[in-house]
Amino acid sequence: MQAKPVTLKVLDIVSIVLLGVSAYLALVFAPTELVMGDVQRVFYFHIGTAWTALLGFILAAVFSIVYLIKKDLKWDRLQVAAIEVSLVFFFITIVLGSIWARPAWNTWWTWDPRLTTAAVTELIYIAYFMLRQGIDDPDRRARFGAVYALVGGISAPITFFAIRLFRTIHPVVIGGSNAEAEGSFAMTADMRVAFFFALFAFTVLFIDLFWNRIRLGDLQEKVEQLKLKVTM
Amino acid sequence: MFLQNSTPDTSGYMIAGYAIAFIVMALYVASISLRHRNLIQDMTTLEEMDKPAVKVEAVNKPGMPPAKTVTKKNGKK
Amino acid sequence: MANNVNQATEKPMTADRGLRSSAKSQPKGNFFKAVSAVVWKDLQAEFRSRELFSAMLVFSLLIILIFNFALELDIKTRQSVTAGVLWATFAFAGTLGLNRSMAIEKDRGCLDGLLLAPVDRSAIYFGKVISNLVFMLIVEIIVLPIYSVLYNINLFQPGLLLVILLGSIGYVAVGTLLAAMSVQTRTRDILLPILLFPVVIPVLLAAVKASEGFLTGADFPEILLPINLLIAYDIIFTAVAFMVFDNVVEE
Repeated sequence: MQAKPVTLKVLDIVSIVLLGVSAYLALVFAPTELVMGDVQRVFYFHIGTAWTALLGFILAAVFSIVYLIKKDLKWDRLQVAAIEVSLVFFFITIVLGSIWARPAWNTWWTWDPRLTTAAVTELIYIAYFMLRQGIDDPDRRARFGAVYALVGGISAPITFFAIRLFRTIHPVVIGGSNAEAEGSFAMTADMRVAFFFALFAFTVLFIDLFWNRIRLGDLQEKVEQLKLKVTM
Repeated sequence: MFLQNSTPDTSGYMIAGYAIAFIVMALYVASISLRHRNLIQDMTTLEEMDKPAVKVEAVNKPGMPPAKTVTKKNGKK
Repeated sequence: MANNVNQATEKPMTADRGLRSSAKSQPKGNFFKAVSAVVWKDLQAEFRSRELFSAMLVFSLLIILIFNFALELDIKTRQSVTAGVLWATFAFAGTLGLNRSMAIEKDRGCLDGLLLAPVDRSAIYFGKVISNLVFMLIVEIIVLPIYSVLYNINLFQPGLLLVILLGSIGYVAVGTLLAAMSVQTRTRDILLPILLFPVVIPVLLAAVKASEGFLTGADFPEILLPINLLIAYDIIFTAVAFMVFDNVVEE
């Protein structure tokens, strides 16, 4: 197994640095929000992880289609990596969303479209891995995984729009003037800096973790092949 | 800077949020490294198992000088 | 003499001679023949044994019973909650039908037989969808009057029936595809609800919204939106499942 490419080693360090800077901007540089206080700062990481998890989600659906057309297992490994990283990031998104909601709107959960869709997508991811767990044949596992990721990939956006169109949300609001309103509070210029930097930092972090996870998948493949060879 | 008396102190939540975010990310990175290390171990073990078979083949190949080292019989066919 | 020889080689005496000879004619005829063969087989088998049907029906009634104890279904709440209770019932009972329907195929080896036939894989998909849909609709048609009687609500409105049809189509379209996968895994039955429910949420959401609309006499434009979503979902997922089904039943 080749050693870690230098680019990746550099990327590892760069990601950590960017994450640190982003945390600084979010925790120190950005001003304190007036109505809900410091907890609003989780918003930067909440959006950062949400955006990248969404990226992973879209990638996974694309990989599904490519795999089903080309039947090259490489795309299956890419998909697993994308979904796994996306799963972790959506988890953080959901938890931060919940932590933000509690002091801001006096509820641990708001059934708003974004948060709910994130939760549904998380469940789809978990189901994806449970599906794969139950299959031994790598080819079938890849095919079924691709089919389910595709079905889930189409269904989740529809869920989002359906909730948006049909659900009249009644958040229990104390103090806030508007409903969760898709996270709209007025952002000052400083907040915007922290916001966009968080998006950038998390994108880099995503690429880094994605790449590392792909390498893991490739190594796994090599080990599997060697296992077959040795036990023949 | 004037403090409106309605700005609540929610820093506890903020700390909890960031702590969880960093911990989860760290756990994930640890998971990848751990799995990586285990796979490397599997790899070396498998490569070891692979070697004696190669040596046995080399001994049995016609025209090749007999191997000077003693090949381990590890019970594999 | 020569004629006899020609005849002997032309039509081989095989069990699927019916399908083979139609394969010589237009492929479309072959397709519909295959679909109806699957549907007919399922309906006949079910008519004889009634195992799927009775299980789904009893399960539905038990779910309604549970809801009665789980929720305060007084007159006021009933109005707002009926649509949800109905669809929850259908969603849970539906997994029963889907699971068994696919398991029967696998266990009796019918699937292999179907796969040997020179017909497009999607014919199997459509056949299964139609038979699963028929079973689900029959169960729903029986549950409706029972619920009406138990809770003194008239559920036999054409609008509601339309919603139930559209919702069931969407549910079964995705469910058949996913059931075909889950039945081939180690965890089998348990896996289907886990796979299906997150993905079928738009159907439940829209169906409940539309059902509610019809039951509470809301304005038609308001009801039109969820109905449109149901139709869109049905079309999209039937098309997607149709395209990928090959990948799910390959050996």
